[in-house]
Amino acid sequence: MSRVVAVCGKGGVGKTTVSAILASELCRRGGRRVLLVDADHAGGLSMALGIAARRTMNQVRQEIIGEIKEGGSSRRDLALSLDYLMMEAVGERGPLAFLAIGRPEEAGCYCSVNTLLKNALELLAGGFDLTLIDAEAGVEQVSRQVMSKVDYLLLVSDTSAKGLKVAVEILDAATGLAAVNATGLLVNRLRSPRELESISLPPGIPLIGTAPEDDTIRRFDVEGLSFFDIPASPGVDAIIRSCVSAGII
Amino acid sequence: MGLFDAQARSVLAFLADKRARKELIELAPRAGWPEAPSLVLEEDTALELGHPLQGSLAFIVWTSDPGIVGDGIDLVGPDVDAISQARAPLAQIVMVSGEFGEEYECYRELKDAVYGVKLTGVMARAMPSRQSFWYRVSREARARGFSLAHLGAALLQKLKAVKFVRSARIVFVTSGKPDLEALTAPARETGRIAGALNKMYEEMNYDCAECEYSDVCAEAIELKKIRERMVKRSAT
Repeated sequence: MSRVVAVCGKGGVGKTTVSAILASELCRRGGRRVLLVDADHAGGLSMALGIAARRTMNQVRQEIIGEIKEGGSSRRDLALSLDYLMMEAVGERGPLAFLAIGRPEEAGCYCSVNTLLKNALELLAGGFDLTLIDAEAGVEQVSRQVMSKVDYLLLVSDTSAKGLKVAVEILDAATGLAAVNATGLLVNRLRSPRELESISLPPGIPLIGTAPEDDTIRRFDVEGLSFFDIPASPGVDAIIRSCVSAGII
Repeated sequence: MGLFDAQARSVLAFLADKRARKELIELAPRAGWPEAPSLVLEEDTALELGHPLQGSLAFIVWTSDPGIVGDGIDLVGPDVDAISQARAPLAQIVMVSGEFGEEYECYRELKDAVYGVKLTGVMARAMPSRQSFWYRVSREARARGFSLAHLGAALLQKLKAVKFVRSARIVFVTSGKPDLEALTAPARETGRIAGALNKMYEEMNYDCAECEYSDVCAEAIELKKIRERMVKRSAT
């Protein structure tokens, strides 16, 4: 059954790193087909993995808008074209397919195109065992641009009060959308195990685990190395262990 | 003269030439390949036909002339088992004869039949505006003997289930880009006629003088008749 996991959190807490580590682990394990969606306009997941989408979803959107402006294509033709363009857009590596949302290039209301695009993405995701979304911010962006429904919302935060506050805000917004089935919090970049004791965890979000600040992860980030090649390290292991025990991957 | 008769005759001339050169094989339809939508990733792919970088051409023509189309599958070029490259160009032409009423509805029904073919282990993606079909055949499907005779049979079955279809012929061309280029003219004309038809039915208020399809309507007298019929109908 197709499952959708969205990784959300304040900027800079390491959600793209978490997404990249999970993607790398899923690729290493094999056996499941995974659709990775980089919903961050900055395209960080692509850089972290060293895998590029051939085109972004927004470029696909532009092409469809162009077809509408030209005329001569029925709605059914446009829906079919989206399936084609979407498959043309994905980058692939083993059991992973990678799709980037990209930056919106044209202003204006194209609600019907956005709906078609989301439907096509949901249809595509239905063929995969797991869809992993590295979200730009909160679930509302995911809900608007990517998927109507998220099975698991993985909130990532560092130990900062702001990071934890944003996690709560994201969850509140998600509850309003009624599109999330389960949630968990991963506290990332702990400087010591005791640091957890010094922070007040938000009530109502189950803590699925913690991950320490990690020199290997930092080095891969700084040097722009592909997380597909990251070796075992305390941070990597902790992220994978937490997500496996929470049933996310 | 029917809407696509000129294009159907161009395709038939191409086929006659290929037959004379002994470059055409008639495939016996092989029905029964299991049907299910399939997602085939690159790592599972044995062969891509009509990949966007390789070239693809796909169009539908119909005619009311019973002498033009008889049931069958024609193949110009190698079948799936004989293609050694990972990717090959593809032309897929569907020719149908029958009694056609409301042209737009008929065309839509034919397209639904063609686009509705989903075979297990074969991922099909269509881009009508580019007149392209892109198939990925999985390693498993090829190992199990998947052939264009299976795809052709599935297309024939779907088309023959359409009530106004009398006979249908599927043409596959895998021989290479020169043969695809030879079919570009009828493909482009068919695309323009279909585009004009779509526009006529989906955008009722337009100025013929400003329309980008006015040259097509000037050429295809049948389109003009359809438009006149629509205008008359909307006036009553």
